[in-house]
Amino acid sequence: MLKKTLRFRSAQISVAILLAVLLLAIFGSALAPQDPLHQSVKDFLQGPSSRHWLGTDYLGRDVLSRLLAGTRTSVTTAAEATLVGLVFGAIPGLLSAFLGTWFDFIANRITDAIMTLPTIVFAIGCTAVLGNSLTPAMLAIGFLSSPLFFRVTRAAALEFVRAQYVESAELFGASRFRIVRVHVLNKVIPTIAVAAAMSASAALLIVSSLTFLGIGVVPPAPTWGGVLASDLSYLNQAPWAPIVPAVLIMLTAGALNALADAIRDASGVHVSLLSAASSKAATEEAAATELTQPGDDADPAFLGANSANPVIDKIDEEAADVNRHSAA
Amino acid sequence: MSAITTTRIGAPSIGRSPSGLGRATRGAGRRAGRWLGIFVPVILVSTFLVYGLGALSNANPAASVLGDTATPADIARINHQFGLDRPFFSQYVHWLGNALQGNLGSSYFTQIPVSQSISQRLPVDLSLAIVAALFAVIFGGLAGTLAAVKQGSWIDRGITLASTLLATLPAFVVGIGLVVIFSTTLKVLPSAGYTGFTVNTGQWFERILLPSLALSLELGVGIARQLRTSLVEELRKNYVTGAVVRGLRPSRILIVHALRNAAGPALTVLGAGVPLLIGGAVVTETVFALPGLGQLALSSAAQRDVPVVQGVLLVTSALVIVSNLVVKAALGWLRPSGGR
Repeated sequence: MLKKTLRFRSAQISVAILLAVLLLAIFGSALAPQDPLHQSVKDFLQGPSSRHWLGTDYLGRDVLSRLLAGTRTSVTTAAEATLVGLVFGAIPGLLSAFLGTWFDFIANRITDAIMTLPTIVFAIGCTAVLGNSLTPAMLAIGFLSSPLFFRVTRAAALEFVRAQYVESAELFGASRFRIVRVHVLNKVIPTIAVAAAMSASAALLIVSSLTFLGIGVVPPAPTWGGVLASDLSYLNQAPWAPIVPAVLIMLTAGALNALADAIRDASGVHVSLLSAASSKAATEEAAATELTQPGDDADPAFLGANSANPVIDKIDEEAADVNRHSAA
Repeated sequence: MSAITTTRIGAPSIGRSPSGLGRATRGAGRRAGRWLGIFVPVILVSTFLVYGLGALSNANPAASVLGDTATPADIARINHQFGLDRPFFSQYVHWLGNALQGNLGSSYFTQIPVSQSISQRLPVDLSLAIVAALFAVIFGGLAGTLAAVKQGSWIDRGITLASTLLATLPAFVVGIGLVVIFSTTLKVLPSAGYTGFTVNTGQWFERILLPSLALSLELGVGIARQLRTSLVEELRKNYVTGAVVRGLRPSRILIVHALRNAAGPALTVLGAGVPLLIGGAVVTETVFALPGLGQLALSSAAQRDVPVVQGVLLVTSALVIVSNLVVKAALGWLRPSGGR
């Protein structure tokens, strides 16, 4: 999967960008030329100079240092949210393909319920309850991204559950755990990787929005979203200021999206909530789990995958038939 | 062929034959029953999540309301007043029962009923979300259709590039960008404030225009991308070729046939985007200083005013559920076979 993906030029560029961001996350604070928290009120809102390469903010703090030092928080929070979504989504998704109808029904209803909660409002609620710091907010965002992981993992696993090699492994007496580990997990990993990349990019954007609202990040600590938000309040004095933090966020989010596209193209998986229920096995259970029908579940935040979906095609063909009759 | 598909999916063929009126009503009844079977558990689980979140809180309203000088007896009295001395599950049932009758409790601090504060602010978010959804449908629909029809041209590439870029920008950046362009530079639209729809409709529209535009972009991009994908697929199908060969006008083929079939997935994107609209409204409210639900949630979260936060979450998720039902109904109308 890795080799195939890296054949794509877009994947190469994305990986290069993400590696650079990762390096910044590790060494950013050390690279920062000045103390990111040092205020010097008389130097506020300066333009780029030899002393402050990217100028200063409204408290006279060095913007370059703040961006470098803020990389780690921005990256870890996005990673944290993705990890939470992965654990709460992918594992039940994998299990629900094996544990039978009841588990599946209950897991699906819980997923539907989670999808009714508006992300940012829920994150605000979590900080109200658990205190205003990044971890509760990230728990909330990760929890709310778990439906994506659940749906795509479940759909991908269902596709392989009834494969002949799985059947033969069963006949040879392999335990369920072994079948999942040896035969199914490998097949599902590209799907999960695509979902993870998409959800990391979404989390990065949501975190910056939360920072803008004053949720999660306690003020002096620098983050990309925080620098962007504070710059935007002083647009009249420094109209060029938001460009660098905005570009950093856009580059990282764009690289993650492009990487998701490349993995998808390389491994031929279809990841979107829209096509998540596309497998044949899923359609057989559609009567029991109505909401997972194709075309019912799409999340534009995570969208980007096309719905090369045999079931939708079939339904569309039928609709075309009906249309043709009414036209004729 | 449809019979084969439907048996495989496990649902009876509904209302397909012209003489099947009785079957159709029976089918509708069964469909309604199945909807209930899905939505009642979903509502129960999501309200439980909302209430459970509040109950996780270690916020102690008695201490915050009474201050440091509170006696244990006072604290017990306040806890009893808010029902906090009862077991969790009984509190949940009580809360849900009251909520169904429109009573969401009252704020720990101001004692104002939560339903009152919410109903004051709800019109702001409803106007925002509805106008934004309209914008998203109009702009997303036009962009997606245009990109699909002119597939491979510079228009298509331009639209794809613009939507890719927009998808990597946080929502508030777009909002502030619009303020800079239309309010600060061009000075054609106000950048803040809200006027009631019934108070002054013209002013309402003027003030809701920029925020809804900012809010609609994310969803519009989703709709455009999905519509382009499904319309491109649709236009390659045999029935389109057939219609071309029969000499139907291209506009008729596009609007009556292809677009109707391609609209389903885009409509689903719209339905799933409602939480985004409502969640995004919080950010937009802050940018444009609108007195909406998000501001209520933010200020009560800062005070740890749990009943208010729970109320806002409950109302917003109820909005999501209702709009999902509307989208489902629309899907059923658009694509009879998809409504099973």
